Amino acid sequence: MSKRVLDGALFESMVKAGAANLYAFREAVNDLNVFPIPDGDTGDNMYLTIDSGASAPSDGPSGLGEASSRMAKGMLLGARGNSGVILSRIFAGIAAGFEGAASADLPAVADAFQNGSKEAYGAVSVPVEGTILTVFRDAVTFAGGRVGDGSDLGTYFEDLTAEMRRSLERTPDLLDVLREAGVVDSGGAGLVYIAEGMKNAIDGVEFTYAGKQSTGKAAKPIDIDTFKEDTELQFGYCTEVLIRLQNKKTDIASFDINDFKAKLEAIGESVVAFVDGSIVKVHIHTMTPGQILDFCQQYGEFLTLKIENMMLQHNETTIENKTEFKRKKVHKKIGVIAVASGDGIKETFRSLGVDEIIDGGQSMNPSSGDIIAAAEKIDADYILVYPNNGNIIMAANQAAALYDKAALEVIPTHTIGEGYASLSMLDLSGADIDKIVADAESYAEGILTGMVSKAARSTEMNGVNIIEGDYIGFEGDTVYSDSPDKCEAAIELGQKLGAGDYDVILILAGADATEEEADNVKTLYEENFGDSEVIMMKGGQPLHDFIIIIE
Amino acid sequence: MYTLFTDSDTDLTLKEAREIGYKLISMPYSYNGKTIFPYEDYEEFDSKTYYDMLRAGTLPTTSAIGKEKYISYFEPEFAAGRDILYVHFSREMSATFNNMDEAVAELKEKYPERKFYGLDTKGITAQSLCIVYEVGDMYKAGKSIEEILEWAKTEVYNFSLYFFSEDLKFFHRSGRVSGLAAAMGTLIGVRPIITMNAEGKMVAIGKARGRKKAIETLLQYIEEKGDHIEDHRILIPNTGAPELAAEVEALVRERFGRDLNIVKVTTNPTAGAHCGPDGLGICFHSVKRD
Repeated sequence: MSKRVLDGALFESMVKAGAANLYAFREAVNDLNVFPIPDGDTGDNMYLTIDSGASAPSDGPSGLGEASSRMAKGMLLGARGNSGVILSRIFAGIAAGFEGAASADLPAVADAFQNGSKEAYGAVSVPVEGTILTVFRDAVTFAGGRVGDGSDLGTYFEDLTAEMRRSLERTPDLLDVLREAGVVDSGGAGLVYIAEGMKNAIDGVEFTYAGKQSTGKAAKPIDIDTFKEDTELQFGYCTEVLIRLQNKKTDIASFDINDFKAKLEAIGESVVAFVDGSIVKVHIHTMTPGQILDFCQQYGEFLTLKIENMMLQHNETTIENKTEFKRKKVHKKIGVIAVASGDGIKETFRSLGVDEIIDGGQSMNPSSGDIIAAAEKIDADYILVYPNNGNIIMAANQAAALYDKAALEVIPTHTIGEGYASLSMLDLSGADIDKIVADAESYAEGILTGMVSKAARSTEMNGVNIIEGDYIGFEGDTVYSDSPDKCEAAIELGQKLGAGDYDVILILAGADATEEEADNVKTLYEENFGDSEVIMMKGGQPLHDFIIIIE
Repeated sequence: MYTLFTDSDTDLTLKEAREIGYKLISMPYSYNGKTIFPYEDYEEFDSKTYYDMLRAGTLPTTSAIGKEKYISYFEPEFAAGRDILYVHFSREMSATFNNMDEAVAELKEKYPERKFYGLDTKGITAQSLCIVYEVGDMYKAGKSIEEILEWAKTEVYNFSLYFFSEDLKFFHRSGRVSGLAAAMGTLIGVRPIITMNAEGKMVAIGKARGRKKAIETLLQYIEEKGDHIEDHRILIPNTGAPELAAEVEALVRERFGRDLNIVKVTTNPTAGAHCGPDGLGICFHSVKRD
């Protein structure tokens, strides 16, 4: 039977069905979490938010206005995470649209949903398109525009959910970070599952709402080792507070949430804040949570507080979930494999767009089989292979001859330096693979890679008297310096190579070089080669205390 | 009678604004819990201290100004019976213009006979400043709003800005450049070359290894795209790198003419918060921007 009127009981069962459906798919949503920065799992956060509305205690049957406002209030108290807080605003806006009503006909429902979108945008200081905000707005605009004589709640929700899915698929077009990760927006996906659950309730599909389900979050310990003594606080703290405005501190009637938000903007990012009566909810990412607390306390007292270091990770890899929105492996035109060792170098290579890194190098030469195994993990038409060591080029060529699922193009880089130089200049967006390969090879040319290592035995080479246990500086097969001090060996190597004639000198400090030694070498290079740019970074490579890339 | 407005994001200084007759709208930035309005909280921008602070690791944020603030700028002009021509930075770069639209709509109800014109420079910093200067010249020469807008229809697109940035973390955080894929995350020693397209968006169009090559790339763009550069100002914006700007000025004179009208420009702190320190660019009269 077609339903054209929404009442309190139906809306309540819709929200419960939405919560139940999201619960079932929450891991799939968690898996998509890439935006804006890691602040917990979106699926869990949204579920806990909607469930605190769905499970808000009721005193028996109530009208639509009352029911929606009770659930919105519950969500206000339980909202967590960026998407969760925005979700709670969507429902607050809907509840405001239903205020005082016993029930609503379809046009009124469409209006209330439209109001939910408006309210959600209003809570965010800088609305970002390609997120839950866009998905909901697109959907209510589309479905609202199609409300006509033949429509009912079923057709409205059919339009709403269909457009949500389309809008969700468009989110990677709007946000680079999603496109690069090959995912759709997680908050938007969570919203789709909620809306589809709500539609089930209208269509009379049976669902089980257990209420207050554990998301298993407590059982998932955080790994405190992901934040170490020298870790730089890049993302700060996800800080969420619920404040009760206090009469003795502020004039509650004239409290200006926009002004309050603007001030928060100065202390943090991703600000979502709103006021509901005398309760203010704040979600913010900040480097200095103390400042947020001090600021907020000027207006009232805290009802709840949550502060999490966003750089800590859960020490359990997310379970792969077989659903449609799971992080998909994107088919690429061109993939990249590189051989490297050392955490810093590997991380740098990854950030330069390398898909698969094979651990190896001087002391550990990977086989053709290792290279083929890495290629198997990439879905691409062409795969560039960077051996980054003279001894590995042969194996790479052999792998290229054997592999037939993609064309392997070996860029014959002899050193990490050549590999870095080529990768950092490479532009994979071009259409002509031959040109890309030719460019990749030419970027690697004219690069000197000097290395400093401990001498394994005493001998004489190239006129340099080498003493076992000393540090030697060499490039290719030619030894240029020997010193008991690795910093001296490094600077003498630079001088012999004529480093001062080059534009950029990138020095990678190895696992055995201390921070002090690295600073020392950097200073020495800057003093000696003033016209060049000297850059020092932690490469973390074994064997070579310093790798000096001269471009 | 009309009043000219521009904003601090176009790099016009308060001193210049007074000289030409521009009123300046202040676009704020914040750090350590303080929000600062350029040229309202200070008379002169201390770029050295500011960019040193960025080098030391402070990451300021920027925020949109609200409707009320726009009203406080515009209403006195309308009340005095003057129309407004606002030469502003690109609409593509901030949500602030929605607030401006609301303010203008509200004021129009109150002052139905008054007119408001926005001139979108489709750029920010030097890209906007060269247009702000040209409009200022026309204003001083007594041109009408209509004449200026007619000129702007084509000329806004005939100035090009190319610049490089030293440290991508600022851009990554702000998300205001397209084409800077995550793959360009750690470009050590390699500088992205960025331009502003005809839509007023920042786009990364290439990379150069080392600062010298980056500068050479900018000079090549003058060669390739320059059009009657001698008839217009050439701007060299920099984010706290005045010595580098002086070096580049010398290179431009050497290659393109001693008598060129070259102006070195200190990038305003609000835009600087997105580019980071030690970036440099060149803005010149050119064939139509892409």
